[in-house]
Amino acid sequence: MTPPSPRPISRRQLLGFGIGAAATGLLAGCAVPGSTNVNKAGVIPAAASGETVQITYWAWLKDLQKVCDVWNAKNPHIQVTANWIPGGNSGGYQKMYSALAAGGGPDIGQVELRQIPEFMLANGLVDLARYGAKDHESKYDEAAWAQVSFVDGVYGIPQDTGPMGFYYQTALLEQAGGEPPATWDEWRELADKVRKTGPQNYLEVFPVADASPFAAYAQQAGARWFKVDGDEWVVDMTDDKTLMVADFFDGCIDDKLVDTSAGAYTPGWYASAASGKIAAVTSASWGDALIESVQGGEGKWKVAKMQTWGDTGYGSSAIGGSTAAVLANAKHPEEALEFITWMTTSKEGIDAMIKYCGIGWSPAVDYIGKQREQPSKWFSGQNYNEEVFVPASKEQNIDWSWSPVTQSAFTSLQNQFRRKLTSGLKLRDAVELAQKEIVQSFKDKGLSVRTAR
Amino acid sequence: MSTQPNTAFRTSTKATRAQKRAPWVLLAPFLALFVLTFIIPIISALFQSFTTVDRKGLFGEDGVTGRFAGFDNYVTALNDSGFVASIGRMLLFGIVQVPVMIIACTILALLLESASARWPGFFRAIYFMPYGVPGVIATILWSFLYVPGLSPIVALLQSIGLQPDFLGANSVLWSIANIVTWTYTGYNMLIIVAQLKSIPGEVYEAAKMDGAGPIQVAWRIQIPLIAPALVLTTVFSIIGTLQLFAEPQILSTVAPAIDTEYTPNYAAYTNAFAFNEYGVASAQAVIIALAAFILSFAFLALTNRPPKEERDQRKRAKKDGLEARRALQTRASAVRPVTSQAAPSLQGGSGLHNETKGADA
Repeated sequence: MTPPSPRPISRRQLLGFGIGAAATGLLAGCAVPGSTNVNKAGVIPAAASGETVQITYWAWLKDLQKVCDVWNAKNPHIQVTANWIPGGNSGGYQKMYSALAAGGGPDIGQVELRQIPEFMLANGLVDLARYGAKDHESKYDEAAWAQVSFVDGVYGIPQDTGPMGFYYQTALLEQAGGEPPATWDEWRELADKVRKTGPQNYLEVFPVADASPFAAYAQQAGARWFKVDGDEWVVDMTDDKTLMVADFFDGCIDDKLVDTSAGAYTPGWYASAASGKIAAVTSASWGDALIESVQGGEGKWKVAKMQTWGDTGYGSSAIGGSTAAVLANAKHPEEALEFITWMTTSKEGIDAMIKYCGIGWSPAVDYIGKQREQPSKWFSGQNYNEEVFVPASKEQNIDWSWSPVTQSAFTSLQNQFRRKLTSGLKLRDAVELAQKEIVQSFKDKGLSVRTAR
Repeated sequence: MSTQPNTAFRTSTKATRAQKRAPWVLLAPFLALFVLTFIIPIISALFQSFTTVDRKGLFGEDGVTGRFAGFDNYVTALNDSGFVASIGRMLLFGIVQVPVMIIACTILALLLESASARWPGFFRAIYFMPYGVPGVIATILWSFLYVPGLSPIVALLQSIGLQPDFLGANSVLWSIANIVTWTYTGYNMLIIVAQLKSIPGEVYEAAKMDGAGPIQVAWRIQIPLIAPALVLTTVFSIIGTLQLFAEPQILSTVAPAIDTEYTPNYAAYTNAFAFNEYGVASAQAVIIALAAFILSFAFLALTNRPPKEERDQRKRAKKDGLEARRALQTRASAVRPVTSQAAPSLQGGSGLHNETKGADA
């Protein structure tokens, strides 16, 4: 045979490996990812003039590179590369969290508005106020800006939002003898009328398995679930406004006015909407692209202003929306911020984001995008963006903010809401039970917290 | 022993040392990956299940420290009524689904291996095919058959006046059971078919000679002889049940009754990747592993009892046989006639026969 081969692994050595592996495992377990706070370290200075800076951006927007290319062509010294990641909780966040824990990751990452505090909890975001982000505050919608501002800092730049409106099928509302509702009470009457047109016909769905719409309705009514009091979080989900919304939908479910079998934009929903069994959906501005995939729906849909809670609350609300956030291990935060402001406030950047990425509502105050200034053929020739969503983006609950336990808050709410169907739990009680779990998750994270009442 | 065979022994130990080395060398690639992707994560999860994190400030911006938490995470996990309920749900699921599947796969295997089976190869492939469909895809496909408005099955039942709700609070568990059964019956069938194929042909011949019909053959010969395979597939199924994850997770998008703690694994997943609560998630994972361990062992202990007796009897029979052979040898060296001594060993064989009959009863 060939020269003496290296000694194969003996059993003892193997045991040694095992122990070594165990030790590394233990060490890995010991280190607490995200225990260092970059915002306590010095500010990273801008690159010297003439030096070319490479920036990476992780996002789940499609064709984002084409937007970056528009910028790259004009800014040879700041070159941005887009890398596609799976959307948010489908894997994108997990990827960013693990990159952050390993001390790496991109300069910019796409983080939903509601997720910003959770990333702060992982010490994963750069405070952009230290790089002059506050100079740009006036260029953005107030509500969106409020959701990225915490403890005197700015932790992400809004890149799209989701002001809400009421999408409806004109023929189905006519058949029921109704009009787009101005208030939720009118909405309920309309739901009743639509129910009478057929045993499987509903005005809308109320998804118990997705709490985002419920949160948006409570937000519209003027609720503030999460507040900060000094060094303490205050959870307030059992306020009058939230309970009013809970009772309202409790009644709607009890009277079988809403379809609870599935959420909007699920396969079953599309089938029902196409066959005229679902007449409307109260949804965010980005819902337009999704509704356009309803088969044979062209020319049948229109958009109206969102129904309000009468004399309390706001004209509209919001679902979704994301930011371009500078992640903790970014090497060039200042240049990254420069690119982000261009992308989110310049006409060129916004048009490119709409054209290539199909982003939601642009949070820039004075420009909605060229495409969106024109009437839509699909939506019965209505110029709904200017008619409905421009005012909706101004009529937001600007006091609303998310918390570092958004994910568990939604999960708790959803798990309790499901009990409405499985065991007849009242939504009001579901919210109260969920609040208990949410307070517990704050405590589990090692944060100080109390309930407001 | 004498000194003479000693030298012979030495050479043989040299050979065995190389032989001893060989398996480790061959195993090394596997072991390296096994340690990296299996042992280390398990140890790390065990460790994490005893740790927790403290934070200062609203977001931990003023400092984050990890500390040893004792059994706190286990207490949290076991105090979580949703998690405990999910284990109960999986027990219910297992008690119903595992027997149904094992019986179904046994029947399929017996049919395919029966003498009158036509195109057994073709049908074996057909039955096995669902296992080749990834669980996620299978669940998406099945969800289209469950969702009202899309499903032809629901439409058909509705047209004859029924109102089926495959995704309701009480029915969705069995809709999941259906998917799991559909996926794994063929796979388990294949294990049993393999065991059936190892039954020697003489046994069948003997049964035929004794006048056993196909059902008698199946009941008295095949089923007792495939018992080990049945035990194996059942243990695998029990473990698989506790690890149920993909099916409920995918179905949750169309079935509001499925929450994020519907199965134990789903609960651990949610804690780890939605809440970043690695400590509690690890504790839950350890509890799941322990539960699978206990259940599998309980089942093995339960099923092992009769075969143990059998084994003892076999041992006894072997001993008898050995003694008989020894006696035979000593006699053979002394006297010629052997034939008369063959009788006891034959008796031993008939004794074995009786035992299998006893196991049937």
